[in-house]
Amino acid sequence: MKYILMMSGNKAGVDTYRAWSKSDIDAHMAVLASLNRELTASGEFVASQGLAAPHEAKVVRGLNGAMPITDGIFPESKEFLLGYWIVDVATAERAYEIAGRISAAPGPGGVPTNMPIEVRQLAMHAPQS
Amino acid sequence: MKYILMMHGKKNSWDEYAMWSKEDLQRNLEFMQGFNEELQHAGVSVDTKGLARPQEAKIVRAGDRGEAVTDGVFPESKEFLAGYWVIDVENPDQAYNIAARASAAPGPGGKPANMPIEVRQVLGSHSDLGF
Repeated sequence: MKYILMMSGNKAGVDTYRAWSKSDIDAHMAVLASLNRELTASGEFVASQGLAAPHEAKVVRGLNGAMPITDGIFPESKEFLLGYWIVDVATAERAYEIAGRISAAPGPGGVPTNMPIEVRQLAMHAPQS
Repeated sequence: MKYILMMHGKKNSWDEYAMWSKEDLQRNLEFMQGFNEELQHAGVSVDTKGLARPQEAKIVRAGDRGEAVTDGVFPESKEFLAGYWVIDVENPDQAYNIAARASAAPGPGGKPANMPIEVRQVLGSHSDLGF
């Protein structure tokens, strides 16, 4: 079963993260890189992407043949996707366990970030590439 | 440049979609299949996924001992990711044009659904965050 683990945050949270010290960022990334290697070795890793800071985010709507409309104004509270992992696991509990590991990755001073990770199953019938 | 195009919905959006007529669902599905094939042939498709209904969605945080603590209660207003496309294009305008096509996917009665599509750049490497 494929699950997507999503890390989200608002603009203020992203600005806070960008102000972390280099050693805090390196320690955080080292734990996540190690987790990716572990999931690859166990055959559970499917994909992972990080998204750029949400300051350039746009919302597009398009009607038939019309030019796309972009809107880059969001409420301060809007939760933006920061990154995701797709894992192929035997049970939902295993997906939660991996999400817990991501949430426990170290933040400033080595204290776990405790970031909330949303866990959702992928649709079986959806187009898969 | 890689971009992600994201379609969101509320919890009841999945139920509303399931109540579309068979013809409307078929038309929407055919559009999406054709759209995805076109992106693949154009060489811009990197990945696309659809997510299951959010009724089973969980938020996980690490507990004191690193264990997974799950919570499945969300405000009614929460926006859930319904699906996404990751594309590799030359410039942002190309990403916006493809997002507009996805937004114009046919809804009930064949009218464009006009769903809002959030467009964001995907990081090439972590240093792109501008540390």
